[in-house]
Amino acid sequence: MRWNRQVDGRLTLAFAIMATAVVLGPLVWFWHASLLPSAYSVMGTGYAETTGAHGGHGGSATGGRAVTSLIADPGRRADVAVTLTARRQRFRLPSGRLVDGYTLNGRSPGPAIHATAGQLVQVRLVNASVPEGITLHWHGVDVPNAEDGVAGVTQDAVGVGEEFTYRFVADRPGTFWYHSHQMSDEQVRDGLLGALVVTPATRAAGEVDVTALVHLYDGVRTIDGREGDVRVEAQPGERARVRIVNTENGPMPAWVTGAPFRLVAVDGTDLNGPTDVRDAAVLVTAGGRADIEVTMPEDGSPVRVQLGGSSAVVLGSRSYDAPAAGRPAATLDLLSYGVRAPVGFDPDRPDRRFDYAIGRRPGFLDGRPGLWWTVNGHMYPDTPMFVVSEGDVVRMRISNHSGEVHPMHLHGHHALVLSRDGVPARGSPWWVDSLNVGDGESYEIAFVADNPGIWMDHCHNLPHAAEGLVAHLVYEGVTTPFSMGGPARNTPE
Amino acid sequence: MRTVYRIVAGLVAVEVVVQAMAIVLAVAGEGKWIEDGGVLDKAVVESQETVFPEVIGYAVHGINGTTVIPLTALILLVVSFFAKTAGAVKWAGLVLLLVVVQALLGIFSHIVPLLGALHGLNALLLFLAAIRAARLGRDQVVSPVADPGARLTAQP
Repeated sequence: MRWNRQVDGRLTLAFAIMATAVVLGPLVWFWHASLLPSAYSVMGTGYAETTGAHGGHGGSATGGRAVTSLIADPGRRADVAVTLTARRQRFRLPSGRLVDGYTLNGRSPGPAIHATAGQLVQVRLVNASVPEGITLHWHGVDVPNAEDGVAGVTQDAVGVGEEFTYRFVADRPGTFWYHSHQMSDEQVRDGLLGALVVTPATRAAGEVDVTALVHLYDGVRTIDGREGDVRVEAQPGERARVRIVNTENGPMPAWVTGAPFRLVAVDGTDLNGPTDVRDAAVLVTAGGRADIEVTMPEDGSPVRVQLGGSSAVVLGSRSYDAPAAGRPAATLDLLSYGVRAPVGFDPDRPDRRFDYAIGRRPGFLDGRPGLWWTVNGHMYPDTPMFVVSEGDVVRMRISNHSGEVHPMHLHGHHALVLSRDGVPARGSPWWVDSLNVGDGESYEIAFVADNPGIWMDHCHNLPHAAEGLVAHLVYEGVTTPFSMGGPARNTPE
Repeated sequence: MRTVYRIVAGLVAVEVVVQAMAIVLAVAGEGKWIEDGGVLDKAVVESQETVFPEVIGYAVHGINGTTVIPLTALILLVVSFFAKTAGAVKWAGLVLLLVVVQALLGIFSHIVPLLGALHGLNALLLFLAAIRAARLGRDQVVSPVADPGARLTAQP
């Protein structure tokens, strides 16, 4: 009897232990498998996607180029030379607010860099006191790969006391911005950013040109560090161009009251044949830019360019009393805005076709349990490397079934939007580097692979990137000597 | 192990209470902040800044709901294997199932807001299931004492 009870007890215990193993075993295994090594190369993670390759253009003939060799003409002298010194410090915004964060040359946002199209821009970045290291990424400028500023991919993070010089030709006029791409979630939020404006060689006279870099400091929206209404003088009849830069992590609507407006450029590319818009908002995605042009009313009344709910650029001369109005219900649809024009390549005969399907599932990311983003069903670091050859016409379908909007940013290239949810683009060629892909939406885009290197293709809601919503565009034969982690503690997200 | 089972089940119930308190705190703080002139939009939501102090309620609700409570429910299931109490595994399994349903309803309510109403209802079911599980051990300690005299003496 007693012996039986002992056997029973042991069997029960064995059963309990087995049941525990069945429940916890897979979890422990998944957790362990998700841990990232202390240093790893982006080339060694993920999996290669080469869909639709027809042998390509050049292929292995270009083999064995390191990203460090992909630079601007070293013999050419700089036309615009700037030194930016980064510090971790407490600083005062132009609005008077005290912020604990990062500065460039003692201020945040950092100095706006101005260049004329075709000029060679040279920026010497000095790290005076940012302990985690820094870089600068030229958001929207198709720079040579070595100048792209992605820690662990195109360079090592610049440590305290070190410096790095970026050199690139600002080849197209437009509105751009720069920001750190080392621990970008934290460093961009806390101030390592600034505007980059490239103007055409011949400028129209009598035009007011305003850059409105929108950024939240401690949750408060600012325009170039100023809060609320920012007044800019514009005479009656004068044209004013407001260059909106959304440095935030969510899409921002912009709308105009007091006069019709034209959306003249998106992501540093002029639109063709923009027409007057009334009663519609422009959605500027995270990381994206929109240039709005207004002709000031002859009667001298002011014009309000509202940027999100709490801040605005108010253009005026005699008065700046432009009453605030709510956001128009309609949003300008760029699929049908402006006039068609030749695009310079045939997107209907692609050499490569890729899918970039964004989803979400529970799992472990570097040991942390949670609900994480997926690309084509895979979680970071097992996300795709889209492999191309130089000269390829690439078509990509970006679809989003993750429950949240994602501002998708491709480094080093501008892509043409072909369609959204099967509806083809009929308006002006719509070139983007940052595309707002809403939940349930799918976009077809195309671009020419004309800038060899290893390029991030990621969500510019920077916390999402830190949560693994990152893939890479990789040219055949290009390699990187840099790695994630390691002695430089490279953490691009 | 029976005591551990009861404590862990009780913890799940307490966590449900914490969740309800945290989310209402956050919503109330947000409402007051907007009344006072605060402007809320996607960029502010994504900024991860403490624009009003009660925003901590959202963080607590999120971390508890996606990590702490599922982990506690999982521990309850494992403990139930060793608890040697009739119904322990069944009730722990139900608690874990309701936790999974609760998390899914919470997540998908961001896409289909109506699911948020079911999230509130399911919270009460989870609370009751956790309380029932917590009382399971106690009921069993009492029930083997089948001595009718014990009951009589307990009466005045």
